[in-house]
Amino acid sequence: MADVGDEGSAVSEPLDLVRLLIDEVVCVKLRGDRELKGRLHAYDSHCNLVLGDVEETIYVVDDEDDDDEIKANREQEIRDAVCDSVVLISPQSRPH
Amino acid sequence: MSFFGFDTARHNPAATGFSQTHNPFAGLSNEANEGEALDFEETYDGLGDQLDETDDAFNDDTFGGGSGVVSKPVGQDFDFFGQTAKVANAIEEEAVRFSRQLPAIKVAQSATQSATRSAVQSFANTSAAGSSYGYASQPASQPARSGYEKYSQEPVGELQVDAALWGVAPKKHPPPAAAPAPAQATAPASAPAGRKILSLEEVEAQMRAQAKKPAAPSPAPQPQVQPQVQQQVQYDQGYQYLQHAQPQNVAHPDHSRPREAPQHPGQGHPVPVTILQRPQSRHTPTAQSSAQPVPHQQPIAHQRQQPSATIQPTQILQNPSRLSGDAAKIGIPLHPTPPMSHPTHPVHRQQGSFSRHPHMIIHPSQLGQLSEEDKAAYLDQEAKRAKRNHKIFQMSRDNGIMTPQDKNFITRIQLQQLVAATGNPNEHSTDESISEDFYYQVHNQIQGGQRSHPSQPLNNFAQTYLFQTGSRQGGMRRHNRGPENHMQRMEQQVQRAVEAAKNKPKNKQLVIEGSLGKISFSNAKTPKPLLNIKRGDSAEVHRPGSAHRPVHVHGTDKKSELRSIETVYSTLMKMEDHERHMPPAPIGDADPEAIQRMNDWASEAQALNHKLWMALRVHDRPDSNGVHPFIALLSYNKGKRAMQRIFRHSTQEQRTTILTLIVVNLDNLDVVRNAQVATGDMQLNAAMRENVELFSATVMATLFTFMNELELDLVAGVLGLICTRNVDIIAKSRIGASMLTMILSRAEILKHSARGSEQAWRSWDATYTQFFNLLEPTLPYVFPGTVNTGDDVYVWQLLAAIGIGASPEQQSRLVLAVKDRVMDTVALSKTLPQDLAAQRLQNVNLFMRSIGLDVDLLD
Repeated sequence: MADVGDEGSAVSEPLDLVRLLIDEVVCVKLRGDRELKGRLHAYDSHCNLVLGDVEETIYVVDDEDDDDEIKANREQEIRDAVCDSVVLISPQSRPH
Repeated sequence: MSFFGFDTARHNPAATGFSQTHNPFAGLSNEANEGEALDFEETYDGLGDQLDETDDAFNDDTFGGGSGVVSKPVGQDFDFFGQTAKVANAIEEEAVRFSRQLPAIKVAQSATQSATRSAVQSFANTSAAGSSYGYASQPASQPARSGYEKYSQEPVGELQVDAALWGVAPKKHPPPAAAPAPAQATAPASAPAGRKILSLEEVEAQMRAQAKKPAAPSPAPQPQVQPQVQQQVQYDQGYQYLQHAQPQNVAHPDHSRPREAPQHPGQGHPVPVTILQRPQSRHTPTAQSSAQPVPHQQPIAHQRQQPSATIQPTQILQNPSRLSGDAAKIGIPLHPTPPMSHPTHPVHRQQGSFSRHPHMIIHPSQLGQLSEEDKAAYLDQEAKRAKRNHKIFQMSRDNGIMTPQDKNFITRIQLQQLVAATGNPNEHSTDESISEDFYYQVHNQIQGGQRSHPSQPLNNFAQTYLFQTGSRQGGMRRHNRGPENHMQRMEQQVQRAVEAAKNKPKNKQLVIEGSLGKISFSNAKTPKPLLNIKRGDSAEVHRPGSAHRPVHVHGTDKKSELRSIETVYSTLMKMEDHERHMPPAPIGDADPEAIQRMNDWASEAQALNHKLWMALRVHDRPDSNGVHPFIALLSYNKGKRAMQRIFRHSTQEQRTTILTLIVVNLDNLDVVRNAQVATGDMQLNAAMRENVELFSATVMATLFTFMNELELDLVAGVLGLICTRNVDIIAKSRIGASMLTMILSRAEILKHSARGSEQAWRSWDATYTQFFNLLEPTLPYVFPGTVNTGDDVYVWQLLAAIGIGASPEQQSRLVLAVKDRVMDTVALSKTLPQDLAAQRLQNVNLFMRSIGLDVDLLD
């Protein structure tokens, strides 16, 4: 009985937190002013990510307009995020 | 001893202008303050008034040379030496040259009428004049006062002290004037009475001192000129002895002019005038005869240096004192050769003596007698001593301010502070901290330590530390006072203070309300430790959960829920892996090892199962919102997905518990509470529909499988649980309706299979009746959307399940409740395409046939 709950709360490394986000909707910030928002299917120790139902957003500064950003969205069923471009992984608020 | 009847220390007795005859030797001892002491108007003999600048023209007539003639070779030589002369030196020379100008003029004028004077006198005059020049120009170059400058230069004030050397002033050293003059003495016999007559020894002593001066002060400001200077010394000595004929009155203004000299810029006076001075003064008697050879003897000038150099060896020249002595001896031999030495002198005077004069005159004091090294050492020591004295003075300025009692008092104050530092700073009130402040005490003592009321008792501090000092309170221990008791009393004081500190309650820590730890006070003995963290219950919160705290171990926040789900998954994976390693079942009892392996495997499986069970948090208490943790886990998709695998690795009891838990919380499920059927055309959002779909596919399917294995009593129990919940909410959600359908259909299956006891069936019927009564009001509103929406098959299924088990009376009520929907659907189906219409009618027929009717009958 005593040791059962041990693993339930042990977060021994940062990726344990990422593990909690599996099958959750996450926002992933990438290099190049890009963001991915999708369901995290898999990850590895290098933070290579596999996302599903991804909405990718690219922020572009429009020189002509003073408006800062223009979103360029595209959606993909499955999207790989290569580890070296991942800047940030944040959990999305509960979808329901 | 005063020769003149007034204080010789304050005034220069040798100075002229006080109704006494001029003392040609006075200059030697009184150059320093001559400028201040003498009034020019009093000392001026008026000779200068007889001249004017234009009379210089007569010089040419008188000496035949003419300034132009004389200056030409001089100019050449000047160019020669000018390469080595400094510009600054030249300026100096200008000043000296000009100051010498007037005397030179006078000399030129009075050359013929000058009385014969002793060479010594003239030498003294010229020396004095030189000294005067030096002091006239010296102050001009003084920098701003630094306070120590008097140590860095010659102590001028000591000039007076050493006047004895010159046999002039001091009382204590009567000059050996009465000594019989030697044969060589050239002191004038006609010296006025009352004026001291110098002996030859004295004169020589003066000359020696004089000769030292050039070398001592001038550590070669112009090194390249130095050889010239030294040679010039020799020449000066030589021809100064030749200045027998110089009249005294010529020398008189010579040394009385120093103050006036700088006032006239020397630039206006031609160089030849200055150059002529020395030769004139020296050759005045023979001027007429020797004037002519001057020009053509110029080439000899440089050659003349050689014989003089041989006469005065270089090494001797470098020792001024010996030089002077030698020069004194040489003076006589030089006498016969004035014509030869004469032409050379203008040249060398221009360079050497001019540059030399300012320096040789600076040191007329006794320092002049010392060697250069000694003088430097003396000055250095003097400066050191003065600095030390000054420092001692600075430090000792406040000596004696504190009495021994004061010191003793302060020592005890400091001791008290030391002890207090080891005590508890907490207890020090403001007054105490002030009274125990060392500087405050000192300040108080200095201020007189006023107490507002003299009768007021001394404060604690004073009582502790003052009552033993009889000096302040006149205590009984007065007789004990004494240096020998200081140490003893101090020990007592320390002992007392230590005891006082010990008696203080030890409260070395401060616990602030709400803080994590204690704040410890530091003192000398126990340095402040780090923060003491209280390891209490708060620490256990972070400890992994144990069986004793099943509820609070896991929070209900999202992270802990996710963590639980992950644990569930990892445990499931381990269990599945463990299942694959299940050892083969032991054959009989013959293989204890196999049995052992099986037991190990079983225990391991048991442990994993328990772990899974704990991760599911089934036994956790609901959180503040009333949501059970397990239900919260089911709100996550991955929690839903895990259900099937969980059931597979769970015991029957655990499954039943899970089912019961879900049923009990059925109206709390998000897919039930948040997925109520809308009365209008409103559709659930995509995410919720997705969740409902997922829940149906995972949890409901798992439960359906499990439900199909339940016996009637359990089914009846489940239905009874539902009756305790909000049946309205449950029935108006797809998940809830499916659950009800599932329960009712299971009961119907059990009825058809004729299983279950009679009692169980009676129980079931009672429960069903209760349930039907609860559900009946809701029935018209369980359909999702309007008739046009469709997608209501699950409702017809539920109605069919209800209808099958219903009694005929219940069936009629049921038909009555849903009649509108049935009729609308049938009417709608007629407008729909064939296949869609058949679909809708078939759905309705599920219900109709359950109660023994058919849609076709409605037509």
